[in-house]
Amino acid sequence: MKHAFIIGARVISQLKGDKRFLALSLIAPLIIIYLLKILFDAIAPPPIPAIPGMMPMPIPTFSASKFILPVSAFIVHFLSFVLCAILLVQERTRGTLDRMLISGFRKISVISGYTIGYFGLATLQALLVITEAVYLFDFDFPFKTICILFLVIWLLAIVSVMLGIFISTFARHEGHVFPFIPLIILPSVFLTGILVDTDKLPVAADLAGYLFPLRYANNIIVTLQQNEYHFSDLWPNFLILFLYAVGLLFLASSTMKEKE
Amino acid sequence: MSNSVQIRSLNKSYGKFSVLKDVTLEVPEGSIFGLIGPNGAGKTTLIKAMVGALKINSGEISVLGKDPLKNSWELRRQIGYMPQSPSLYGDLSAKQNISFFGKAQKITNLEKEVDKILEFTELTGRANDPVRNFSGGMQKRVSLACALIHSPRIIFLDEPTAAVDPHLKQRSWELFKELSRKGVTIFVSTHLMDEALLCDKITILRQGQVLAVDTPQNFLARGKTRIRYEKNGQTHELISGSDTSSLAKEMQKIGLDANIAKIEIEQDNIENIVLQIVNRTEG
Repeated sequence: MKHAFIIGARVISQLKGDKRFLALSLIAPLIIIYLLKILFDAIAPPPIPAIPGMMPMPIPTFSASKFILPVSAFIVHFLSFVLCAILLVQERTRGTLDRMLISGFRKISVISGYTIGYFGLATLQALLVITEAVYLFDFDFPFKTICILFLVIWLLAIVSVMLGIFISTFARHEGHVFPFIPLIILPSVFLTGILVDTDKLPVAADLAGYLFPLRYANNIIVTLQQNEYHFSDLWPNFLILFLYAVGLLFLASSTMKEKE
Repeated sequence: MSNSVQIRSLNKSYGKFSVLKDVTLEVPEGSIFGLIGPNGAGKTTLIKAMVGALKINSGEISVLGKDPLKNSWELRRQIGYMPQSPSLYGDLSAKQNISFFGKAQKITNLEKEVDKILEFTELTGRANDPVRNFSGGMQKRVSLACALIHSPRIIFLDEPTAAVDPHLKQRSWELFKELSRKGVTIFVSTHLMDEALLCDKITILRQGQVLAVDTPQNFLARGKTRIRYEKNGQTHELISGSDTSSLAKEMQKIGLDANIAKIEIEQDNIENIVLQIVNRTEG
């Protein structure tokens, strides 16, 4: 475990020193959410003026909150995955991964070290994204809900880091990471209920959606936006996300080669 | 003298492509052992197999009496490895890089050891500079320091002086000699023939096969000396062995008389000798 913390400290120091990387990780999600605010404001239907003596017309509803929080979660998911995978692939191309393993670090320490290194970044990302979304869209959530929102986005970021580590074991250089984006990340936008409710999807697409961690994060976010919810509505999805993280940790550990 | 490395009939292939073919080697303890061969000869693959980073198809490898694949974690405390590329963190300083890789080992008083190794590799003056600002040669020196931080009994150096300026190259070899005097076995791969002469023993590897193993002196003795002289306007050539006594005998045959206008003596260098061995094997 000591080795994992040594590697984690090195990853944190590398992240701190790489200003462009930090800016991309922390500022890019905020810019995207701000752009979404502009977009949602533009597409929201104008209020229909009341006509005296007539029954009020049914107003087409557009709830930005229905989309903004799942989309925020997706942005964190996407960036954490891509950036972590690229950073770990760089370790391989630079030869430092081989050197670490030959010097006496074990692969489980490397993987755990990367996860520790990204804990801080994931926490910051989740905090910033939620603060901005709540502020820009005037969400009137109780403090408890905001805390649970933070927890789910944070956990999703950790799952994304694990996914990035796992995928990086199949990539020989940074370019190899990109084909995995349309393969793994983009389908989750369509199949996990972010854009279209999953019950409106064909059965096969709905079932495929269960493969993506974003589905469980989205389930929690949707539940949190209901007027009343109970912890019993949330924990199965939290448990699945947690198991996802543990499962990916083991998968990454088994696919990373100590010996060619 | 016992052997630090013993390899018997080692074979390694990637699919149908055979990279190492029936390699057999013995590296005496405390020696500087040179592995020479052109690019693509299999030098890096052989070194990776010896440090336990590569699975082999068949054969046996013993490093310090242990199988590097079965006892890789035990061995990693006793072996040092300097890869061909510097393999360092550019954002970290020389000191931080050495310290980071040192933390993988159980080193008592690591900070003191880092300072010692910085002094040994003459990096003290730039210890706190980020490695990304170093020249290629300086980065290689940091890489060497990382490989030496845990005082290994054997160190594997993969082309340590490739693309290094002559001064740094000379200094690097002085360091290797100093380590060897301290009893550290040095296994060094190179494609530079002049470096072969600095080794205690060399092996020639070509297309994954060991062509010859011997001391540099014995390799040089396999060479020829060509004596060309001009007598009465005609050029004559005599060929002798490389040793000085056979050269003297040949000179006596000529007899230095007033008609000999010019004498040229040309000895095979290590490069010619290696090329002859390679050509003979290919022929």
